[in-house]
Amino acid sequence: MQKQPQSNLIISGVGVTSSIGQGKEAFASALLAGSHAFSVMERPGRQHDSAFIGAEIPSLNIPDSFSKRNLRTASYTGQVALVTLHEAWQDAKLDGVDPHRIGLIIGGSNTQQRELVQVQEAYHDRAFFIRPNYAVSFMDSDVCGLCTEQFGIRGMAYTIGGASASGQAAIIQAIYAVQTGQVDVCIAMGALMDLSYWECQAFRSIGAMGSERYADDPAKACRPFDTNRDGFIYGESCGAVVIERADFARERAGEDVKPYARLSGWAMSMDANRNPNPSYEGEVRVIQQALAQADLTAQEIDYINPHGTGSHIGDETELAAIRDCQLSHAYINATKSIIGHGLSAAGTVEVIATLLQMEASMLHPTRNLEDPIDPDLHWVRQEAIPHHIQHALTLSMGFGGVNTALCLSRVPNNG
Amino acid sequence: MSKQQIFEIIVGHILELLPELEGHTFHPEDQLKDLGANSLDRAEIVMMTMESLGLQIPRVEFANVKNIGELAEVFYAKATAV
Repeated sequence: MQKQPQSNLIISGVGVTSSIGQGKEAFASALLAGSHAFSVMERPGRQHDSAFIGAEIPSLNIPDSFSKRNLRTASYTGQVALVTLHEAWQDAKLDGVDPHRIGLIIGGSNTQQRELVQVQEAYHDRAFFIRPNYAVSFMDSDVCGLCTEQFGIRGMAYTIGGASASGQAAIIQAIYAVQTGQVDVCIAMGALMDLSYWECQAFRSIGAMGSERYADDPAKACRPFDTNRDGFIYGESCGAVVIERADFARERAGEDVKPYARLSGWAMSMDANRNPNPSYEGEVRVIQQALAQADLTAQEIDYINPHGTGSHIGDETELAAIRDCQLSHAYINATKSIIGHGLSAAGTVEVIATLLQMEASMLHPTRNLEDPIDPDLHWVRQEAIPHHIQHALTLSMGFGGVNTALCLSRVPNNG
Repeated sequence: MSKQQIFEIIVGHILELLPELEGHTFHPEDQLKDLGANSLDRAEIVMMTMESLGLQIPRVEFANVKNIGELAEVFYAKATAV
């Protein structure tokens, strides 16, 4: 493969909202403690003669500066996007950047299903009177509208879908936007995918979503890579990362902005398969492509943040790909064991989990990993452990044959 | 229902959508645009009022409405024609 020039792109800001905390500090400490919020979900519109287990965001702390008018008509996905972007924006100190040179890419399609179902049901018998606002709010791009208005973003903004790899797909697209000079700064967001009971039921019906086995013990339901797993467990989350060139960040902000990591490699590869099943070949290929792009050997990767949903075949396939890419030596844990599967958000939130572990020089535990399906891998199990990540690999896979991989490398002066 | 009652229903929906107008004294000459209602807000106010009155009025019939007094007039004409 042709050698690529080394990437000079960095992540200069992060924002995260999850069931275990809003904001990177709360999120990082809950991750390292292995805290969780799994229970029978209660958000209106998420149950219908059912008791789906998942992890919901307990409350949202909304800055006073936000437009009250927009908040009134914003979906939950939109509100969470606003607070998450706010954190990333402040973190990267974007206030002084030319708004025409800032872009936003939101990963996720059909992210507001629960609210749409609620509106449709409320107006089912009086369709004429459906609130006109629905014409705007039903589109995912309304979340772009909310965010660009609130933050004055005047570069480009759009949503992209890649199923459960949407979050990483957004990062990859943001990389291209900065690399090609379309914008100087691009924010990639993994949007909160707000499931209604329809999606929960269908995910369960295809055998993707657990957990019937742990219906009476929600804390045990989410168990990626454990022999007794029975599917993914949903978890609400949203993440945003700010991507720019290292020299641009230095010029505009000097020492005020600290790079979390260098985006050293990235790859996306399709399986030519419309179905939800994973592909060993596709996963091996995407890992190899990302490593080649980063000019890293497998041996240099010392931490893997896998897709690891808790699905039967998905977890097995992923571990086989990791083993055969000669990555068995690297530490591995599963962020979804703590926060559940955020679907469109997962890829971005897990990159943030990786960056925060890099910053803390600690790796978070993997909840419920009592009997790993492959005990020979380098698991972080019940307790957090110290580890100074140098080069991390993060993986996402989505229905429809989507595979993505990112390599994140420590910036020398970063701790 | 009197014209004044319809006017008050409209004002109620304006306040529901734009609570920052609480304390404002509404006059028939007030224009929704000047009160800070954007095009989406205006569509919402009209639709909420239609639902409150149980009237289904084509949008085109509001085309020449200049202010909330005239809006009340259109609703009043429809309500009394039923």
